[in-house]
Amino acid sequence: MSKEELFAKVVEILTPYAKNRAALAAVTPETHILDELEVNSARLVDVVLAFEDQFDIEIADEDVDAVETVADCVALIQQKLP
Amino acid sequence: MSDRKLALVTGAGKGIGAACARALADAGFRVAVHYRSSAGAAEELAAKLPDAFALRADLAVPAEIDALVAELKERAGRVDVLVNNAGFNVNGLTAAMKLEQYDAVAAMARGTWYLTKLVLRRFMLRQEAGRIVNITSVVGSTGNPGQVPYTMVKAALDAFTKSLAQELAGRPILVNSVAPGFIDTDMTEELPEAVREALLARIPLRRMGTPEEVAEVVAWLASSARYVHGSVIHVNGGLYGG
Repeated sequence: MSKEELFAKVVEILTPYAKNRAALAAVTPETHILDELEVNSARLVDVVLAFEDQFDIEIADEDVDAVETVADCVALIQQKLP
Repeated sequence: MSDRKLALVTGAGKGIGAACARALADAGFRVAVHYRSSAGAAEELAAKLPDAFALRADLAVPAEIDALVAELKERAGRVDVLVNNAGFNVNGLTAAMKLEQYDAVAAMARGTWYLTKLVLRRFMLRQEAGRIVNITSVVGSTGNPGQVPYTMVKAALDAFTKSLAQELAGRPILVNSVAPGFIDTDMTEELPEAVREALLARIPLRRMGTPEEVAEVVAWLASSARYVHGSVIHVNGGLYGG
């Protein structure tokens, strides 16, 4: 999967959790998940589970700590993919 | 993933845990019989319950909890009910108790939290369903001399029930405590006769409960209850009403 395809898939997964629809419409790799997309922090675990299920990977809690932007998600998933 | 719902009961080799395993099997669950030191009893129990299996872990050791959850994923692919029953107690007066003894008792709160976290993360949040029952104790509410660390852990687990229930708002995962009073088990058999007599005098039903009487409440919470959440249900023959 190319980086562009991965980015599109990550955005698709984030979409139901993003409360700021304007930020979602203008999303870039640098978009901040909590501050800009306004994903509720209580729902972050659902995003992580969706990543795990969609890409058949396991994400450790420590990995999640380092994730702030959409690009961070893409990099993390890329690193976990076989 | 198997179609059959799975119930994991910790500390299920004997006593209340074993009764819970039997009651949940009767209610139709496939049961994972967890044990730490009661290998023979756990294996024997698992062999009697349809499709059940026994698995060992020391819940004081996080790596063993990781391995337990991995084994559950491998063997069942799901956990629908978690009964956090495993406990550990050292009796003794505070002034004479060693820090290591306190730590050994307190480790159960940490292990219960970590196992629950993993079961949520790996199974229940994904399944969008689940029942968690924490077996606590009346002494977590009333206190009991000579059991300060044990009563602290049990009170902490009741608080865990209440906080987790609120944290899981909007999700169909129910969390409750069942707080037994004095139940006929190995733990209460050790009580001196005079203490036993004095206890019975305080229980309106004038007898100790049986593990089965606790297990039937656990099975009800696991299979039928739908609007009970974040509660501590006392099963103690009237000793304490909450």
